[in-house]
Amino acid sequence: MPGITEYVILGAVLFALGVIGFLSRRNLIVIFLSTEVMFQGVVVTAVAFARLHHQLEGQAYGLFLLVIAAVEAGLFLGMVMLLYRRRDTLDAQVWSVMHG
Amino acid sequence: MTPTSAFILYAIFAFGAAGLYLLLPQPGRSRTLIGGLLGLGALVCFFLLLGARVIRADSSAVFFYAFAAVAVAAAARVITHPKPVYSAVYFVLVVLAVAALLLVQEAEFLAVALVIIYAGAIMVTYLFVIMLAQQAGSPVYDRHAREPFVAVFAGFLLMSAIAGRAGDYPVPERLESIPVSASAPDAPVLPPEAGNTMQIGAVLMARYVVVVELGGVLLLVAMIGAVAMLRKRVAAEGFRASPRPVGQVGREVRPF
Repeated sequence: MPGITEYVILGAVLFALGVIGFLSRRNLIVIFLSTEVMFQGVVVTAVAFARLHHQLEGQAYGLFLLVIAAVEAGLFLGMVMLLYRRRDTLDAQVWSVMHG
Repeated sequence: MTPTSAFILYAIFAFGAAGLYLLLPQPGRSRTLIGGLLGLGALVCFFLLLGARVIRADSSAVFFYAFAAVAVAAAARVITHPKPVYSAVYFVLVVLAVAALLLVQEAEFLAVALVIIYAGAIMVTYLFVIMLAQQAGSPVYDRHAREPFVAVFAGFLLMSAIAGRAGDYPVPERLESIPVSASAPDAPVLPPEAGNTMQIGAVLMARYVVVVELGGVLLLVAMIGAVAMLRKRVAAEGFRASPRPVGQVGREVRPF
């Protein structure tokens, strides 16, 4: 049975992939899909540590994370529709007015 | 983690980062073949290295490597695919693979909740928005990544930092053999045959009642916020709004 280290490294890989997508993609929807990938990495890590410490708190945190992800998805997708109505594009760089 | 294996791991991450850099949508000639080969090679090396760490191969190890490979490859496609619809579908694959990994780790309830909420509900919403906001053809912001080198380098540094600190944790015993109430003094005593769902329920209700309530409130607030954000004033058929006198505007508050 794989130990905890493998799960932690896998969670870190998923998280880092999400970070790369978040930093480099320009489509608003893909940017937030990347944050969901980060959430998946966090869930894997939390459950692995729950198993390491023989407690279910990690799994409970995973559930709360699911709630936060649902809230985030709802609000974010509403925001995307709002931004899309304003500028008719999903490009994140259109909104860089404060860029300077 | 010994220094040698850590350095091999860093080298693999560097190869994977290079492959990812080539795979990210960029202007100019297509380098996806080289990038894909490089990324695939890094993936194979990564899992060979991880597999070498497991001395006793049993069925759950096979499941772990299979689903971990699916999750990482699909996550790489989520962030590199030029079409957002395909990104969303690949993300469903990531969720399914992660749910399978949670099953291997005896987190049955969380795995099922993940499939229902993520793959079922959240992804359908994403797909709806992608369809609503779809642009004709392939717009330039999907084909050109923003600062791909910097992003990949930052991810590589983050990855190396986390993996270097990952440490060698022991292989844990099976969760079922440990009564959960032993870890939580205020948790109710459960029968020994209580499954994962019952145990999670006990933990939630015994220690996190306030958090559960807060989660409900948060969902309600988000729902109201999303509705309020997106509502559009549409003139009804035959309705003519009469200009209101100054000072009357705030007095006629109607539900939206």
